[in-house]
Amino acid sequence: MNNIAAPPPTGEPDLSVRLGNMLLANPVMTASGTCGYADEYADFTDLSQLGAFVTKAISKTPRKGNESYRVIETRAGLLNAIGLANIGLARFLKEKIPLLEKMGVPVIVNVPGWQIEDYADVAERLDHESPVVRGIELNVSCPNVKSGLSFGTDAVRLAQLVAAVRRRVSRCTLIVKLSPNVTDIAVTARAAVEAGADCLSLVNTFTAMVVDIEKGRPWLANGVGGLSGPAIKPIAVYMVHRVYSQVARKHQIPLIGMGGIQSWSDAVEFLLAGATAVAVGTALFIDPAIPLKICEGLREYLTRKEKKNVIEIIGALAMPEEGRAGGNS
Amino acid sequence: MRRGLCFRDAGAVDGTPPRGEFTGIVRANQALCREHYRLTLEVVGFPPSTPGQFIEILSLPGGGSTEKRRPTPASSAGPGDETARPREWQWTAAAPPRFTDPDLIAQRPYLRRPFSIAQRRDARGQQSDSAAVTQLDIMYRVVGKTTRVLEQLRPGAMVSLLGPLGRGFIIPPSLRLALLVGGGVGIPPMLYLAEQLALRGIPAVAFAGAQRADLFPLILPPGAPRPLDRPVASRSVLEFARHGISSIVATDDGSLGMHGFVTVALRAYLEREKEINGDSTTVFCCGPMPMMKATAAIAAMRKLPCQVSLEQPMACGMGTCQSCVIKYQPAGEPEWGYRLACADGPVFQAADIIWP
Repeated sequence: MNNIAAPPPTGEPDLSVRLGNMLLANPVMTASGTCGYADEYADFTDLSQLGAFVTKAISKTPRKGNESYRVIETRAGLLNAIGLANIGLARFLKEKIPLLEKMGVPVIVNVPGWQIEDYADVAERLDHESPVVRGIELNVSCPNVKSGLSFGTDAVRLAQLVAAVRRRVSRCTLIVKLSPNVTDIAVTARAAVEAGADCLSLVNTFTAMVVDIEKGRPWLANGVGGLSGPAIKPIAVYMVHRVYSQVARKHQIPLIGMGGIQSWSDAVEFLLAGATAVAVGTALFIDPAIPLKICEGLREYLTRKEKKNVIEIIGALAMPEEGRAGGNS
Repeated sequence: MRRGLCFRDAGAVDGTPPRGEFTGIVRANQALCREHYRLTLEVVGFPPSTPGQFIEILSLPGGGSTEKRRPTPASSAGPGDETARPREWQWTAAAPPRFTDPDLIAQRPYLRRPFSIAQRRDARGQQSDSAAVTQLDIMYRVVGKTTRVLEQLRPGAMVSLLGPLGRGFIIPPSLRLALLVGGGVGIPPMLYLAEQLALRGIPAVAFAGAQRADLFPLILPPGAPRPLDRPVASRSVLEFARHGISSIVATDDGSLGMHGFVTVALRAYLEREKEINGDSTTVFCCGPMPMMKATAAIAAMRKLPCQVSLEQPMACGMGTCQSCVIKYQPAGEPEWGYRLACADGPVFQAADIIWP
């Protein structure tokens, strides 16, 4: 499968974008963990219209995940602690890859880990064995397992991890999914890029907690979880812009922006802030067809703005000059 | 829209419409008892469903829709729907009008919520080429954000629904007697199941429980057989009696029917009916987790097969978010594993569940 995007009909804006060596027909993807292995949504939307599909995290061995409760709705958001429940690499290759091959869009596999070897082994096998897998997204920031966080918040360890995986992955685009649970996300972004990442995706969920006041304990069985949904969107847009302006633009590294995207206008915010592509996550739980609706809205927006190509608006944000905006910066 | 282009080829062959997102038009929103309502939604082209399956509902306050709504004749409001008229506020200097809660976003649900199908009525379209119109009933108790929004819906309002979701009850070919055990908001799927059993001519006995008389969501006509406080099934509950099904009622405080949980009624009934056995009888159960656990234990003691409809907090209902996990270990499996209430269930064989 070559995944060459068909040219758009005459007059329609071109939505295709490039992420590393992947050419996407449009910049709208799914976010890991919100779309399973794809077959779950087959009745509800046409997945072949996606720009790319990102699987849930696939670990070396199967994982049961956390005890219940695993989710709780918050104001305009969702707190989750699933615990990387997944069928493991062997079953994924055997059972899920054939379905993903039929989909006809680039597939990106999210890879979690606890030690560098966990990541590198899984990434290498996917790189060698599954042509349909075009990208590897390193999950260095899943906050729901106790030992996985340090890669995403420690720039030195992150650089070691990315460099080690880079040596084992040659064909796939190497994406690092950044944690927002840091003081300055540009620091970890720079570390990942200098260690060899082809692309960055941001942001993962924010570590958060909901308290059951009657029982006097956290609502989630895991205690803490990751917050997603519209509640986090403005912070995510800021972080994408921060990484774009401080790291990505200079290094020509594409960004996948995500965090609370619910509509085409949310997606446009991320694109203007510097994202080359966007991923829809929690919103898929409400409407699996949202990515298609975002593409329609994006097309209309570009037409209205007389843009021939989505690339024209990437990072096109006009920022106020230093000192003129006032405020509390 | 092309749906399921990549994986779902079966639909094109057998002609069944795929599961998906539908718009439901509110036809009635009838108060049943304190805090409980029955919502009737009209849906075009809804796929076939089975008892135990559910829908995921999303609604705005007022059932907002960007489309123009036709005015609905007052007569289409369901009986008991006195809220169909605008409320007239009375106020005095001593009790001035007060906007009660400025925390608006706290009143807005973000995700969908799952509701079992309580009844389904299908009507053929007027012309042969028109899509079938289905009426779906759900029953709900006002407990949170979404149900408070549902409570306010008027005939003509619209909701979005996903469905039909999950795997429903299985009616075994050998079934000669079904025992339907429903507690509180677990009663609705039992009504749908009762109807399907009646269509197949399979006898059933229903056990319906609630916390108190004023929270009992089913109709007990004034002329219904009494007394209700003994484990003797009678045609007392209208929703079951219309399918020729007798029922036993229980409330936690004894204010209606037998005193105790509905499982007390089930146990007492089985003690009297010695000849009931697992070759021809199955227990079908839905209700609070402890009640289903107790029902499963009673069924196991009498060696009756038992199917339970389980619920856990879920975000999607489609099997992707992996939230609604159930500990599962069928006989012969060396190790337990998680199953999803939304996609692998909600109906499971009770014997396969590791109860909390």
